[in-house]
Amino acid sequence: MLRIALKDLFARKRRLVTTAVAIALGIAFLTGTQLLSGILSDSIKSLVGDTYDGIDAVVRSSKVQQVGFGNEIRTPVPEGLAAEVAQVEGVRASSGIVETITAQLVGKDGKIVGSSFGPPTIVYNWVEDPQLRFGTLRDGRGPETDSEIALDFGSAKDGGYQIGDTVTVASQTQTEQFTLVGLTGLGKDGKDSGGAKSLQFTTPVAQRIGQIPGEFSYVVAAADPGLSQQDLTNAISAALPGEQVVTGERFSTENQESISQFVDILGTFVSVFGYIAIFVACFIIYNTFSIIVAQRTRETALLRAVGARRRQVLGATLLEAVVIGLVSSVLGLIFGALLGTGLAKAFSSSFTVKGGIPPIGVGTVVLAFVIGVGVTVVSAVGPALRSTRVPPIAALSEVSVDRSDVSRSRLVWGVAMLVLGGVLMGLGLSDVGPNPLVEVGAAALLILVSVALVLGPLIAAPMARVLAVPFAAGGRIAGRLAGENAARNPKRTAATAAALTIGVTLVTVIAILAASLKSSIDSTISSSLKADLVVNTTTFSIGAGIPANIADQVATTPGVKIASPVRFGPVRLTDAAGKRHARENPETPSLTGGLAGAADTAPPGEDKFMLGIDPATFFEVLNLGALEGSPSEMAPGTFATTKKTADDRGWALGDKVPMFFARSGEQELTLTVIAERDIGQSSIYLPMATFEQVVPPGFNIDNAIYVVADSPADVPQVQTALDKLVADLPTIKVQDLQEYAEQQSGPLNTIVLVIYGLLALAIIIALVGIANTLGLSILERTKELGLLRAVGMTKKQLRRSIRQEAGIVAVFGTLLGLVIGIGFSLALSAVITADNPDIFSYRLPVPTLVAITVIGALAGVLAAILPARRAAKLDVLQAISSV
Amino acid sequence: MSTSEQTAFAAAGAVDAVKVYGEGDTEVRALDGVTATFERGKFTAIMGPSGSGKSTLMHCLAGLDRLSTGRVFVGDTYLDDLSEAQLTELRRDKIGFVFQAFNLIPTLSALENVTLPMDLAGRKPDQAWLDQVIDTVGLRPRLTHRPSELSGGQQQRVAVARALASQPDIVFADEPTGNLDSRSGGELLQFMRHAVSDLGQTIVMVTHDPTAAAYADRVVFLADGHIVSEMTEPTAARVLDLMKQLGD
Repeated sequence: MLRIALKDLFARKRRLVTTAVAIALGIAFLTGTQLLSGILSDSIKSLVGDTYDGIDAVVRSSKVQQVGFGNEIRTPVPEGLAAEVAQVEGVRASSGIVETITAQLVGKDGKIVGSSFGPPTIVYNWVEDPQLRFGTLRDGRGPETDSEIALDFGSAKDGGYQIGDTVTVASQTQTEQFTLVGLTGLGKDGKDSGGAKSLQFTTPVAQRIGQIPGEFSYVVAAADPGLSQQDLTNAISAALPGEQVVTGERFSTENQESISQFVDILGTFVSVFGYIAIFVACFIIYNTFSIIVAQRTRETALLRAVGARRRQVLGATLLEAVVIGLVSSVLGLIFGALLGTGLAKAFSSSFTVKGGIPPIGVGTVVLAFVIGVGVTVVSAVGPALRSTRVPPIAALSEVSVDRSDVSRSRLVWGVAMLVLGGVLMGLGLSDVGPNPLVEVGAAALLILVSVALVLGPLIAAPMARVLAVPFAAGGRIAGRLAGENAARNPKRTAATAAALTIGVTLVTVIAILAASLKSSIDSTISSSLKADLVVNTTTFSIGAGIPANIADQVATTPGVKIASPVRFGPVRLTDAAGKRHARENPETPSLTGGLAGAADTAPPGEDKFMLGIDPATFFEVLNLGALEGSPSEMAPGTFATTKKTADDRGWALGDKVPMFFARSGEQELTLTVIAERDIGQSSIYLPMATFEQVVPPGFNIDNAIYVVADSPADVPQVQTALDKLVADLPTIKVQDLQEYAEQQSGPLNTIVLVIYGLLALAIIIALVGIANTLGLSILERTKELGLLRAVGMTKKQLRRSIRQEAGIVAVFGTLLGLVIGIGFSLALSAVITADNPDIFSYRLPVPTLVAITVIGALAGVLAAILPARRAAKLDVLQAISSV
Repeated sequence: MSTSEQTAFAAAGAVDAVKVYGEGDTEVRALDGVTATFERGKFTAIMGPSGSGKSTLMHCLAGLDRLSTGRVFVGDTYLDDLSEAQLTELRRDKIGFVFQAFNLIPTLSALENVTLPMDLAGRKPDQAWLDQVIDTVGLRPRLTHRPSELSGGQQQRVAVARALASQPDIVFADEPTGNLDSRSGGELLQFMRHAVSDLGQTIVMVTHDPTAAAYADRVVFLADGHIVSEMTEPTAARVLDLMKQLGD
């Protein structure tokens, strides 16, 4: 029996490979991205390890604040602490360190060096002791005067600078020139390029640019020979009980983890699409096995008639699935390794990829085989069980094709699943039930399976005939045959189309949400923003912004009536609602060991972003609806919020609300203004005077300045003047409202494009499925094709008919996907609207949806090219006389 | 005699037709120099034992297969000069087919099957002729049925109607009654006879059944790739006798 199964399998190599390709693509994606994250996080770890090599202990503040993506910011320490650390017994050397993200390097071409999404640019002070210094000096010397700078060699190269050149640095306060005197690198001899871009100045300059005059970010120390890191840490902690002291090892690990966390998020995000691809592939495997089992009915019956037991028949089919699973896994691993290393190369411009190709981890291999074989076998179980129910007598019958009709019970099941899915979706989206995410996911799965596999067959035949109408118009028989062939086996058509449906559903949801968000942003800006112009930051790097002196210069520009600057910063709400939230989402437990002295002192709370505003002008420039309380009362120590936030958190005017800031600690601010709505940026507004005192360095910079002209006629003149003002600042642009809106929705476009790209994989797999099904169906229809050719169908007509058939199936799948996608997007938008009633507006991007349909149809036609060609090549006589 | 003389009365024919399969030791000469013509407006049967070359001759005459050497023609066209695409069009426009089984496209109705070759050509059928053909084979009540809803005899009648519907130069039938019981088979042959006698059609039928051959105007006997005998106005008994003689 085993021999029969294997013989059969290898006799049909093409089918084996095409079936395997579907799963292999998904596996390749999964293992490729795993490999990529592995490569990246290994490189990052080794780079961070090199960076902080030689540091035995770090003395720092215990006040810490999360600022998103695993980053945290600590309160700086007083300058004098460095001297105190130096006095501790066991400390061989120590130094205060300035480490901030408050400046950008401007290249010779006048552009900022590095990309918005790449690693950050970090400002350091030059440390005399090479063991404690960031990186290793490769060339030249360290900065000795306040007009000198050292750069990492990678950034210098990107910026087009050599030693002796005048380097431009855009800090948060001004654009300055320095003379390049040294180049640094990572590793023992400074040969490795660092991930981060480092700008090293003398300590006073670094403190000024870092906006921590008289302070250090932290203090590092090296131990006397023979003293362990832990002993040094304990010694320092004993001498300076108020500070937090950690070992160099722990410090390094913390930094590695915060960067790896970002890489992990990226990896998880991309893996999701790998799993979607595999889910799509499941449909194809299921479908292929259904067809194979149906086509083999006679063969199976014959085996049964000559004495094969049911279990043997089942075993043979499952064995086939196992072999396909194994082949897929191997293919997937090979593709995945190529993909992973290829991507790593592509990434090497922003992350430094160290060393050669790391071996594929055992975990990745196990994952590939478990998923590859598991998914294939699970998909094949249904058809395999069906194959055991073939009665021996079927060997004698003529029919070898699954023509079973779609039943009433199918309708009942389908509707039941649909309703259950709808209810689950409702529960999940309205945040009821134990785990909304799981509910929504399960609901989406139920609805997709119900529509695609259970209800799909009920509508496949009539839909196929309707879709064939344009092809069959004017009595064109090839088109009519295409429609009939797509309709003749509704289950198969539905299952084939389902693979495409999934991809299209997701694309549709993304397209609709993106269009809705974009239009929401546009309409919010046009309805709420009363500014004529916006002086805006065009890079998204943390720490980039508008130098402080610009705001005043804008305000005094002739023709400017109002110039209202806005800043962004992190805040932790430590009120009752925030504490509840913190309990629901406990932070990842921090590392154990390597720490002495004060533990982290951040109180539990909910991390949010806040705006720093000028109360006198902000509410004039931004229309946030009716205000409770008066902006004129927004003195230091007060704040404003929106009605929804106040209602949700139970705040009322005059309440004192506790908030935590890394720089200033926990304090209570008085709620003095409640606005009717926000514009989607943030709903906590602090007067600038307070904001400046509480945010960590790096955030204390204008993000945008809203400008209102004296009269509309003054706008062009003001724009010219402002353009001149920011001409030297490469990251700052003066925008009108339309440009401003475009920039606000710009990142959305990028994200949408990336998601489209990832979903393309699912659609490609669906195409492999269409081609595969079509190939098998054609095999089944060999005799019919022979007859058609005999009575005069030309090869061209035959090819066209098959392409049209595939087009019909593809359009069917695409339309289903569109309908389900629109349904999902409506559900999602209901939830978003509930949270943002004044902002979110639902939009159907009709041209995009039409384009999706056309692409779906064309893709189907593309998938049919090879099967159609193969069908046209059939020898007419052989086809007619085939069994 | 010249080509024009041949084609003046012949609907189709073969001149020195040779068909060789395989090479060397495995060489099989399915047709070994067959020359024959099939008259317009006549019903001709081709008979012979298995492997005599009768099916090969028909396939080559019908443009489904090509000769190794020699020539075949239908109407005034020599098939050997035609490209694959031209052959397809010739089959569609000038030739009708009836196979032993699986004659019909299961997804099309009986009427659609009948008009299939004309639909493929993008031509409108001659309605008067179509009606006549349909009535001749007695299909009127079954026109909207799918093949799976028709009996075997009805299916073959649809196939005959399709073969005649486009008014081809010639209809080739390959064991058309092979899968039918004797009553349905008799009816089908009656229709074919009728189509020749009353509607002026030309039919060439391959069969090994003397009863079926008796419906023809002429019987051509093949053995080992040669024409060995022929008979006009055959009866089942005479055909059977001749077959016995040839068998000896």
